[in-house]
Amino acid sequence: MTNLSAVTVEPPRGRAGWRSMLPRWSPKLGVGLVLIGLITFLGVVGPFLVGDPNTIRDISLTAPGGEFWLGTTQTGQDIVAQLAHATRGSLYIGLLVGVMATALSALFGIVGSYVGGYVDEGFSLFSNVMLVIPGLPLVIVISAFVPADQRGSWTIAVVLAITGWAASARVLRAQTLSLRNRDYVAAAKVSGEKPWRVITIEILPNLLPLLASQFVFSVIYAILSEAGLSFLGLGASNSSTLGTMLYYAQNGFALQRDAWWWFVPPGLIIALFGCGLALVNFSIDEIINPKLRDIPRRAAAEAVRVPDPVKRPDDDVVLTVENLSVVYQVENPVHAVKDVSITLRRGEILGLAGESGCGKTTLAYAINRLHRPPAEVTTGSVTFHDLPGQDGAGDDVDVLALTPEELRAFRWSKLSMVFQGAMNALNPVLSIKAQLEDVLTTHRPEMTKAQRKAKCEEVLKLVGVDVRRLSSFPHELSGGMRQRVMIAMALLLDPQVMIMDEPTTALDVVVQRGILREILRLRDEIGFAVLFITHDLPLLLELADRIAVMKEGEVVEYAEAQRMFERPAHPYTRQLLDSFPSLTGERGSFVRSGEQMTPVDRSGEPTPSGGVR
Amino acid sequence: MTTLEARELVKDFHVRVGLRRVRLRAVDNVSFTLTPGRTVALVGESGSGKSTIARMIARLEKPSDGAITLTGPDGQRVAERRYRDNVQMVFQDPFASLNPFHTIEHHLARPLKLHGQPHGWEDVVQLLERVSLPGRDIAGRRPHELSGGQRQRVAIARALAPGAKVVVADEPVSMLDVSIRLGVLNLMARLQREENLAVLYITHDLATARHFSDDILVLYKGRVVERGPADDVILNPQHPYTKILASAAPNPEARGRNVDIDPADVERAGAAAAFDHNTGAWEEVPT
Amino acid sequence: MRYYARKFAFYLVALWAALTLNFFIPRLMPGNPVDILMAKLAQRGGTVDPSARRAYELLLGANSGESLLDQYFSYLGNMFRGDLGISVSSFPTPVSQIIAEALPWTLMLVGIATFLSFVLGIALGTFVGWRRGTWLDSLVPATTVLAAVPYFWLALILVAVLSSAWGWFPLQGGYDVVLWPGWNADFIGSAIYYGTLPALTIVISSVGGWLLGMRNMMVSTTAEDYVLTAKAKGLRDSRIMIKYAARNAVLPSVAGFAISLGFVVAGSIITEQVFSYPGIGSKLLQAVQNNDYALMQGIFLVITVAVLGANLVVDLLYAVIDPRTRVSG
Repeated sequence: MTNLSAVTVEPPRGRAGWRSMLPRWSPKLGVGLVLIGLITFLGVVGPFLVGDPNTIRDISLTAPGGEFWLGTTQTGQDIVAQLAHATRGSLYIGLLVGVMATALSALFGIVGSYVGGYVDEGFSLFSNVMLVIPGLPLVIVISAFVPADQRGSWTIAVVLAITGWAASARVLRAQTLSLRNRDYVAAAKVSGEKPWRVITIEILPNLLPLLASQFVFSVIYAILSEAGLSFLGLGASNSSTLGTMLYYAQNGFALQRDAWWWFVPPGLIIALFGCGLALVNFSIDEIINPKLRDIPRRAAAEAVRVPDPVKRPDDDVVLTVENLSVVYQVENPVHAVKDVSITLRRGEILGLAGESGCGKTTLAYAINRLHRPPAEVTTGSVTFHDLPGQDGAGDDVDVLALTPEELRAFRWSKLSMVFQGAMNALNPVLSIKAQLEDVLTTHRPEMTKAQRKAKCEEVLKLVGVDVRRLSSFPHELSGGMRQRVMIAMALLLDPQVMIMDEPTTALDVVVQRGILREILRLRDEIGFAVLFITHDLPLLLELADRIAVMKEGEVVEYAEAQRMFERPAHPYTRQLLDSFPSLTGERGSFVRSGEQMTPVDRSGEPTPSGGVR
Repeated sequence: MTTLEARELVKDFHVRVGLRRVRLRAVDNVSFTLTPGRTVALVGESGSGKSTIARMIARLEKPSDGAITLTGPDGQRVAERRYRDNVQMVFQDPFASLNPFHTIEHHLARPLKLHGQPHGWEDVVQLLERVSLPGRDIAGRRPHELSGGQRQRVAIARALAPGAKVVVADEPVSMLDVSIRLGVLNLMARLQREENLAVLYITHDLATARHFSDDILVLYKGRVVERGPADDVILNPQHPYTKILASAAPNPEARGRNVDIDPADVERAGAAAAFDHNTGAWEEVPT
Repeated sequence: MRYYARKFAFYLVALWAALTLNFFIPRLMPGNPVDILMAKLAQRGGTVDPSARRAYELLLGANSGESLLDQYFSYLGNMFRGDLGISVSSFPTPVSQIIAEALPWTLMLVGIATFLSFVLGIALGTFVGWRRGTWLDSLVPATTVLAAVPYFWLALILVAVLSSAWGWFPLQGGYDVVLWPGWNADFIGSAIYYGTLPALTIVISSVGGWLLGMRNMMVSTTAEDYVLTAKAKGLRDSRIMIKYAARNAVLPSVAGFAISLGFVVAGSIITEQVFSYPGIGSKLLQAVQNNDYALMQGIFLVITVAVLGANLVVDLLYAVIDPRTRVSG
C-alpha cells in the first residue's frame, strides 16, 4: 500500500531536487492515493484473505449479504474472492505495460531527441506513424493470430506496450528538445561531461514528473484495453482479470437477470482505479505546469466603492495617483506598492524607474485595474481628469470606483497601454487588422467598415509601418515592428494617457532608438501623456520630463529629470546612476582591476601586447 | 602563458526556406587572439554572430572553416582532450545555466572532479569563497534559492573550477539587475588579475565593453567592422556602423537631442570596409 | 504549401506502414492460418479453387516457395485494386462488399459522436477554464471518473437502465428490423433512434478527456500577455474568452486529435459489439470469432485508412486555424 504519511507532510519552503518532484498535498491527491491504495491492497493482499475464487457452489446468483458480501456468480462462486484475484491480474498487466511502454517511449522520445539529426527524425517519424495507426484494432488482429493457448499475460502486455507507447514518446520528445537547449546542458558539456551523463544526470531528473505522468497514462490505458480485449474473449487465456470477469458476467446474462452485483463491481474497480490515477496525475501536472495549481476561490465581489475622485489641482493634470498601496494577499502579505503618490501632466513623459520586483509594473497595472488576485488595492485612489468638454470642466473619474462596464469603456479610450515583451502582447492567431479593428468595433460601434479601415491605416502610418502589414500575423513581423504595431494600437482611440511598460527592453539599441523617436514625435504631435516604465535610468534621464525612482514598493525620489541627473538626492538613485558606466566620460565607480570602489591607476596592468591583431 | 588564437573563423548555418536549403553565414572570417591578463570584447547586436563565436570557442559548435588553436605555457599546442581544462564559459542567463535539480555543490564538484582536482566539500566551499560567496551557507542550496547575482557568481566559480586559463563570458550581466551588474563585472576583473586569465567578453553594451576590456571588436552580421584598443574604438570611432551604435545608446547628457536612424543607413554602414585602429588602415571586405 | 506537402507525405508513409504491418503480422505469428482457413472453408462446403487459395496465401503467407519480396508486391497490387479477398464466414461474399455495407453505419455513429463530444468538451472546457477559481473547479476531478470507465461496461449499464428497465431506447441493433433500409424518413428516424444510446455512450466516455485538456490549456492561456492586452483594450469578456483565450487554447487539442481519436475508435468497436450495431466493429469481432482472417485484415486496413483520413483532415484544418504553420512549415 502506498505510504500516505510521506506525502502528507508539507515540505518546508525551498522545495527542490527530489522533493520538488513530489506533488503538493491537495485533497485531490489524497482521494487519488486512497483509491489507488485500497484497490492495490485488494489486489495484492486480498487473494490471501479470501477463499478459492473458482469453488463452485449450488447457490447460483445469491444476492449480496451474509457469508458472501457481494453475492455469488451463476455457478455460485464468491464474487469477493473473484474480485480480489481479478484485480491482481489487471494490476499485474497494468504494471507490466506501464513499465514497458514508458521504457519504449523514453528510448524513442528522449534518446532520439538528444542525439538529434537523422536518428531523431527517424525515431520521430516512427513514433508518429505508430501514433496514427489505431491501437486496439491492431491489438485485436494480433491477438486473433496468436492461438489461444499461447496467449498469456506477457503476450498481451507486450502487444499492449508496443501499441501504446507512441503518444508518450511524442510528449517526452518535445520536452527533451526544450531541455537539451537549456544553458545548463550546454554548461555540463563545457565542463566535459559525457553524453550519457548529460542525459541521465542533467536531463532525466527534470523529466521525472513527465515520465511519471506518462507512466500513469500507460497503466490506465493498459487496464482499460485489457478489459476490452478480455470482454471480447481475446484476453490472456491463463489469467483472470477484471475484463475476464466482466466477460463471464456478460455471457452469464448477469444484467438481464438483475445480478448487478456480478457485473457492476469489476467495472467500478476499473473506473475508480483509473480515477485515482487520474487524480494523482492532476498533482503531477501541477508540478509540470505550476499555472494549473488550485487558486483560492474568488471572493464573491469586491466591496462597492463610493466614488471619491481627487479634485484636479489645475487643468494641466490628467492623472492623479494618491497614496496608492497594493498588497499581494498571500499567506504572508507582500506590500508590492506602498503609499505611492504621483501626478501626470498633459503631454509629459513621466519616467518610472526601478529594478525587478520594485513594484513598478504592479503600480502600472493597478492604475488601470489590471492587477489580478491575489493582488489587491488596499488604500489610495486613482483619479483620471478628463479633458474639459465643450461645456467647460471635464469629469474627475475615480478609476477604482468604476463599475465593470464603465471600466471597460474607460480602458483604451482614455488610457491605453503598451506592454513589455513585444513578442507575446499580440494574439498570435489573429491578423494585425483584426486586432486593431476589434478595439474600434468594441469602443466605436457607430463606425463603418470603411471608416475603421481608414483609421487602422492612419495609425499604422503614424508609427511608420507599411499599411500592407495589416493582413500580416504577429510572427511575420520583427520585434521592433511588433512594438510599433502595439503603439499604433494604443493610438487608435486618441487616449489622453499611455502607460508604457518596458516598451523597448528586448530590442537592440538601434531599433530601440527608432521607437523612442516615434514616441517623442507622436507625443509632440498628439499630446498624450506617457507613463514610461523601465529599469534603464539613463534612458529616462534623456527622454523623460520627470522621473520617479521606485525601490521595494516606495517612490524614493521624484524629481525633474534634469535635476535628478545633476543632483540625485537619494542614495539609491545615486547607486543606480553609478551602475551605468558612461560611454564617453569618466569611469564612475566602475573599476576594472578590483572590487574596491576607488579609481585605480591603469598603469599597473600588463602592458598591451598581442591582443587584437 | 596560455593563449588562444582564433583564425579566420567561419560558421554557416543551413536553414530551410520553402523547399530550398539556404546557407546563412553567422560568422564571417573573424580572427583574434586572447592573451593572459587581457580582455577582448566582442560587441554587436542580436544576429551579429557574437554568441556563435562564444559557442565555437567553448566547443559547443564546430566552425565551418578556420581554426581555434590553444597554445600552452610551453609554447606547444594544447592537446584536444586538455582543451576543456583550459577554456571555460560563463553563460548569459544564470537562471537557465544552473540545473534546478542539483545543489550548488554538484555544480562545482563535478567540474573539479572531471578535471582531476580535489573535489570535496571544503574545496567547493573554497571555490565559492573565491567568488565572494559565503560558501558554507550556499554549497548545500539549490539554484532557485539564490539571487541572480549569486547564481552568476556560482556560474563564474564553475568556469574557474577546472583551472581554466581562458574564460568566455557571454553577456554575463545582461540578465542581472543593474545595481549588481558592476559587482559581477568587478569580480571578474579581480579574478582575471589574480589568475592572469585571458577573457573574451561578449556584450551588446558599448559602455561596459569600453571599461571592462582592453580591445574591442565591433561585429555586424558576422563580420568584424572595427577593431582596436577600447578607448580608441569608443572615443574615436571610425566605422560608420560603430558611430551609429554609439549614437543610439542612451545618453543623459544629450537631453532633447533628435537621433534619426534610418534602417537603410544601418545596412549601408554595416557593409562598409573594416577599420583596424592598430594598423590605422581600412581593410577591404573580402567578397 | 510546404506544410501540406509534408503532411501528405507523412500520411502516405503511415499508410504504407499499416499495409506492411498487415502483411507481416500473419507471417510472424505462430500457426498456419491458411490451413485453418481452408479447413473452415471446406467445412462449410465452399469450393477451394486454386486462385482463392493463392489470394489467401498472399494475404496470410504460406510456404509456397515464392520469395517474400514477390509475395509482398503481389499483396500490395491486390490491395491497390481493392481486392481484399473473400470472406470465409459469409462465403462467398467478397470482403470489400461486407465492409462497404458496414462502413457507413460506423462512420455515421463514430463521426457524429466524436464531433459532438469534441464540441461539447471544448465548449465546457473553455467555460470551466475561463471561470477558474469558482465552484466549477470542483467539477473537473469528476470528469476523470467518466474517462476511466470502460466503454462496454458503461454501455451495458446504460442498456440495463435506459432500455431494459425504463424502455426508453431499443436494446440493440442499428434500426427497426421491420423497415427496409433506404433513404426515407421512417428509416432514418429509426436509425437515429437506435443510434442514440451507442452515441451517448461514446460521448459520455470521451467528453471528459476533451474537457480536461481544454480546461488546462485555457488556464495557461489566460495567463498570456495577449489576454492581458485584450483586457486593457477594454474588449468584452465574451470576446476575450473566445477570440483571445479559447482560440489559442484549442490548438493543442486539435493537434493532439490523433491520440484521442485512437481511444474513441477503440471504444467504439467494443460499444458496437454491445449494441450488436451493424457497423464495422461488430464485423471485426465476428471475423475474429470465425477465424475469418481476410475479413479481419480488410477491416483493420479500412479502419486505419479512415483514422488516417480523419487525422489528415484535422491536420489540414489545423493549418487553417494556426497561421504560423502556413509560413514556417
